[in-house]
Amino acid sequence: MQDISLHLLDIIENSVRAEAKNIKVRVINNVQKNRLRIIVEDDGIGMDSHTLEKAQDPFYTSKLQREKKVGLGIPLFKQNAEMVGGTFKMASEPGFGTVLTVDFTLDHIDRMPLGNLKDTLLNVIIGHTDVDYCVHLIYRDKAKEQCFYLDTKAIREELGDIPLTYPDVIEYIDQSLFEGIQNTNMEDV
Amino acid sequence: MKTLADLKKIREKAQEDMKLRGGNVRIKISVGMGTSGIAMGAREVMKTFLEEIAARNLSDVLVTQTGEKGLSSMEPVVDLIEEGKPKVTYGNMNPDKVKKVVVEHIVNGRIVSDYVVATGD
Repeated sequence: MQDISLHLLDIIENSVRAEAKNIKVRVINNVQKNRLRIIVEDDGIGMDSHTLEKAQDPFYTSKLQREKKVGLGIPLFKQNAEMVGGTFKMASEPGFGTVLTVDFTLDHIDRMPLGNLKDTLLNVIIGHTDVDYCVHLIYRDKAKEQCFYLDTKAIREELGDIPLTYPDVIEYIDQSLFEGIQNTNMEDV
Repeated sequence: MKTLADLKKIREKAQEDMKLRGGNVRIKISVGMGTSGIAMGAREVMKTFLEEIAARNLSDVLVTQTGEKGLSSMEPVVDLIEEGKPKVTYGNMNPDKVKKVVVEHIVNGRIVSDYVVATGD
């Protein structure tokens, strides 16, 4: 994975595979604290403490019917965060869901870039229309705080029987995310 | 700034459109979005499908994504599922190949056999 947004896509796919119906994604660019924080919270099937520990082991996968029993998604994300002075935390409760919190040191010279957050978010929203997403982008420095919020449930209510996959709706979501990412200074992080 | 009010206009237009063509899905495109697929560029592949389909206004084509299914060495992998026809799986995809598949397979109905890695279920 070349950037954080690709890891984020991978993590959200995990949530979808864990049968999540609501996924909350927060990206917080806190210049004051010199920290880039990613939080993904889902209401999927969750993991017990044994599986939770195993998930961080590269030679474990929850994917059945696989010849190669490796699962590199979580271990690589963890490594990429910890390598640059960040932290990686996963908490889970069987039957209730999983919360993942990853912190990166913002000005660390070897930190991977945030990457194309817009395409990651658009992909998961359009690719899994049976899941509702709450996306929260926050930029914070000494002088100001700027927020962007997108809730697919609200969009769906406006749309009635028109699906999220209708071309004009895709364009609307794409454009909203683009504006939100610009307003929260996330395009070049 | 995009607001929820913009969605009302889209909804009205879409409802007219649906009345005309019935809202059927003719082809479903399913992009493999497992860890290996993502690392090999599946996100760009899906984005290109969305762009090409929007540019041609193909509102009867649905783009979705799935996990991986054991074709890791051929990622990014894409399934084309058409009503009443065997499933076609394309492998080693990239944005240029996507453009060709949209024109040849989705618009003109000719399978791009050079990129096919599996067919049927």
